[in-house]
Amino acid sequence: MSIFIDKSTKVLVQGITGKEGAFWTKHMIDLGTDVVCGVTPGKAGQHVEDRPVYNTVKEAIIHHEVDASMLFVPPRLTKDAVFEALASGIKKIVTIADGIPLHDMIRIRQAAKDYKALVVGGNTSGVISPEEAMMGSFPHWIERVYKKGNIGVMTRSGSLTNEVTAMIVEKGYGVSTLIGVGGDPVPGTRFAEMLPYYEADEETKAVVIIGELGGTMEEEVAEAINKGVFTKPLVAFLGGRTAPKGQKMGHAGAIITGGKGSVEDKITALTKAGALVAKRPRAVGELLEELNVPK
Amino acid sequence: MKLYEFQAKEVFNEAGIPIPKSRLIQSIDELSIALETVGLPCVLKSQVLSGGRGKRGLIQVVKTKEEAHQEAKKLFTHEANIKSLLVEEAIDIDQEVYISITVEPEAAKALLIASSEGGIDIETLAVEQPEKIVKYPIDIRDGLQNFQATEVAYGFNFKPDITKQMIKILLKLYTVFKQYDAELVEINPLFITKQGLVVAGDGKIMIDDNSAFRQTRYAQDLSDYRTEAEYEANRAGIPFIQFDGDIGLMCAGAGLTTTVYDLINYEGGTVANYLEFGGPNYKKALEAMEICLKVPSKVILIVTFGTIARADVMAEGIVDAIKRLKPDRPIVTCIRGTNEARAVEILKSAGLEPLFDTEEAVRKAVALSKEAK
Repeated sequence: MSIFIDKSTKVLVQGITGKEGAFWTKHMIDLGTDVVCGVTPGKAGQHVEDRPVYNTVKEAIIHHEVDASMLFVPPRLTKDAVFEALASGIKKIVTIADGIPLHDMIRIRQAAKDYKALVVGGNTSGVISPEEAMMGSFPHWIERVYKKGNIGVMTRSGSLTNEVTAMIVEKGYGVSTLIGVGGDPVPGTRFAEMLPYYEADEETKAVVIIGELGGTMEEEVAEAINKGVFTKPLVAFLGGRTAPKGQKMGHAGAIITGGKGSVEDKITALTKAGALVAKRPRAVGELLEELNVPK
Repeated sequence: MKLYEFQAKEVFNEAGIPIPKSRLIQSIDELSIALETVGLPCVLKSQVLSGGRGKRGLIQVVKTKEEAHQEAKKLFTHEANIKSLLVEEAIDIDQEVYISITVEPEAAKALLIASSEGGIDIETLAVEQPEKIVKYPIDIRDGLQNFQATEVAYGFNFKPDITKQMIKILLKLYTVFKQYDAELVEINPLFITKQGLVVAGDGKIMIDDNSAFRQTRYAQDLSDYRTEAEYEANRAGIPFIQFDGDIGLMCAGAGLTTTVYDLINYEGGTVANYLEFGGPNYKKALEAMEICLKVPSKVILIVTFGTIARADVMAEGIVDAIKRLKPDRPIVTCIRGTNEARAVEILKSAGLEPLFDTEEAVRKAVALSKEAK
């Protein structure tokens, strides 16, 4: 099992005819993703990887059953594209766009709540269940990172995710589903909101979160553990322990404000809740072993 | 992007938020005219983007012309590299209030924050006396409603005419927040004068960088950057911060670069600069190295683990940059990701010794930086 996406998830691709959209659609299909159709306004009648293209999502869902929408849409147009997918009743949406305006992201997250949908991203690589399916732009062919297994991974980063996941795989583990919530200050979906899915998934034996300074997402994870929403072992790696205070370094979401969001606060909250915090990427795999998480 | 106080006040003024009488000067020669307009006593406020100006002596109250000239001269020659002063009328302050609007990511709302204890560090107050702070979530579909501003303003228990002014200011501050795609708009302190007027004593506006394409009014220029390298990096669209340590970072991915920064500190090294050329910048190795070489570092450390960025393309870019720029300092590489085997070949054929483990690369860079001393 996996969460959010597996081989049976029927995926529509918005922006399928663009350079990036066409490129990653091919890789999504290569991995095993069931891409059923695509949408690009004005390109109806075309095909990408033999999948039909429609002008609008509304038109596409007349002809296809769709569970999820993958957006390869520029940041300025992302709000509209997300709203289009939501209006058509799609409940799982992933956007990898880097540069979505902050106020647009507030509206996107608010709309997702109203529709009881999950919008993952932006500024992320997306979601992948290794050796099964993906929505996004992961180099799934790098075997020492994207290996199937029983560790759930959630991350605010791209390259750092490869770094940390490689260390998990090095210890003989693999990944059930990796969710990139993204590096923006207002991600569409937050860490704690995905925990119930990992909790319910039998295959997932532990969760690793790759967080960083700024925001309160890691504190919310600690709270979810405290409330008993999540009961499996959890290991966190947090970047930016030594980052200079008040300096915008790293992702836009990573700035310490109001005495909140410092890595020390996050470590305290997570440790109190019973999670383990790794100081270095390599320690993540070691801590999973220490917790006797089965391989 | 953060606006200067004078820019924020310009925006406030246009929105109808009262500001003190003031004049911006770029040199000491303009002071006399400014004093005539503003009057004495007045306040000389250094226009810098960093906070804590009061504590650093960058704000001076002056009573006479002589004193004004003396202090202005000191400020213009201050090490903080002050380019302009806001000469502002001194206000008879009865009370100082805090108001701001920011975003609340979890609730997906805007958040109005207010306190009758203005003029202080709101972040300290939030920790020490949280009960003195009002937080009011705003649905951005509707914006700040009149009744909401009224609820917040009446909460202060001011006299009715001051409350009325406060309501207007809150509503106008929200229009600024929306109009400028702000991360934060803040008035701290908001003065209540002895004459019973409500006036913005300071102004802070942070515009969301992702909205820069539709927020073109205020663009940063060279004078906003501390070093040439920072300016060049910004022009090239490469995230960069200069420090004063020994190891120049040329990494890919914001999270990975931050982690390498941590690892260097753990190993007892120091960082000369943060530079990230991942994502859409992964073909900019030449520009990235050029910027790194402008920084007085002892070694350059390149760590990547690309997602979209291909390792072989990065390696080619790095080898090409080395050939063209002939760096005067050692370079440590740790390049992983798609086509990483090919990347290793490319680096080796150029005479480099590619490493494959981040921690090993960090240790090597720290050792080299110490040898160079």
